[in-house]
Amino acid sequence: MKEIKVVKIDDSYYQVDMRGWMCPYPKYAIEKLIEKLPSQSCMDLLVDCPSATKDVPEVVKEKGLRVEKVILINDGEWCITICNY
Amino acid sequence: MKILRELLKITLFEPWPLWVGMLALTITNLYMFMFARALGVFPQMAMWGSWIYNLLGWQIESPFPPYPVKLPYLDQHSLLDLGIILGALSVALINREFKLRKENFLGYLMGAIGGFLMGLGTVLMPPCNVGGFWVATMAFSLSGPLAGIGLFIGAYIGGKILKTQVSKAVEIIDFNKAQKAEPVLSKKHSISTFLGFIFIISLLLISLIYYYYGMPVHAGLFLFGAFFGIIFQRSRICFVAAFREITISKDGKIMKWVLISIGISAIGFAILKSKGYQPYHMVFPAGWHNVLGGLIFGIGMVLAGGCGVGILVRSGEGYTRSWIAILTGMLTSGAWTGIYKHKVGEGWLYGSPVFLPEKLGWAGAFLVIFGFLFIFYLIITWLEGKKYEGN
Repeated sequence: MKEIKVVKIDDSYYQVDMRGWMCPYPKYAIEKLIEKLPSQSCMDLLVDCPSATKDVPEVVKEKGLRVEKVILINDGEWCITICNY
Repeated sequence: MKILRELLKITLFEPWPLWVGMLALTITNLYMFMFARALGVFPQMAMWGSWIYNLLGWQIESPFPPYPVKLPYLDQHSLLDLGIILGALSVALINREFKLRKENFLGYLMGAIGGFLMGLGTVLMPPCNVGGFWVATMAFSLSGPLAGIGLFIGAYIGGKILKTQVSKAVEIIDFNKAQKAEPVLSKKHSISTFLGFIFIISLLLISLIYYYYGMPVHAGLFLFGAFFGIIFQRSRICFVAAFREITISKDGKIMKWVLISIGISAIGFAILKSKGYQPYHMVFPAGWHNVLGGLIFGIGMVLAGGCGVGILVRSGEGYTRSWIAILTGMLTSGAWTGIYKHKVGEGWLYGSPVFLPEKLGWAGAFLVIFGFLFIFYLIITWLEGKKYEGN
């Protein structure tokens, strides 16, 4: 099974690397990921499928959380910043 | 000039809303039907498979009667598919969305199995999700709604498999045990956009070459293909997601637009067909095999991460899993006449093609197709409503 790499990049700030997971995997993963995210924290979700930039924020907003930003970080790679406060 | 620049920016550099994409698809498909044919992509891929077998010394006919084995670059239908790949590649590059997306062994295995199931599904159904459901339904072929039932169930099964896979990977994550590391930094410079424009120019040049050599239909279908590739890439319309998300995420907004698009197109098809223009175009054999083929194809397309059109678009975006799916899909369907000993639509397996207006008259045909669209729409709305039950 492929791994989802999680690292801590700052205090209460994590980076979840889902590059290599095609759509709809990020969309299906995000619901559980935001449940697991410690309270008062943010995470940068790295994805490399275009649809995730639309699908993931939709699910996050549905769950009542905030999407800080969605930015292109490299050719075909995006960073979606999500906070639970 | 400012308006023109704005328009160019919106068309090329921003993702299109779903309804814009669906409307563009509907119109492009109607125009392409008036030009030569409606959208359908798998039978020509099956022909590529048979063509490869012939090259390797296995004398075999291609499974779909209107698609005899030809050199792919001289086959107008194949040019439609190539146009889709190159169109999607061009705009993906322009928007810096192209990336060579590699997979691990399991990912490639899923692509191979998905392609195999789609290859089998396409000859049983026939032909694919877009041609066999979307176009067939608007073309008043009874096979369309029947294939839809199979695709719906298949996409549900496939979606469950994907969801289970990713749930397992998320389950073992523990944020509290995450190691400290530097964040991934973004890269500002890229030649991607520049390359994209070169591809767009090449697309136009290729079609001009075909036109110059007396093959205007080839040139036209290649350009139509490129248009489709651009529309699918920019609007992120995915017919797999349309079927899959109804049940998996209880979200039917894509399928609702697909149904609206079928409704609009059906009126156009009715006008053309009732005047005697290609009345039997996209009318396929109808029977239990539509449902079974749809089911097998439905599972396959979810595992492969794209239906027939989807894997073409995604291969243009750099998904190596889609490359594998195209390969196994065409090799499976391309071997059909060697296994079944007949072509698609012939022999014991297939029912007769049913062109609804011929059996029921135009009023009856309209009633069946719009009744189907209406009931499907109601089922989706009902399933969407279940999402908020218990909350």
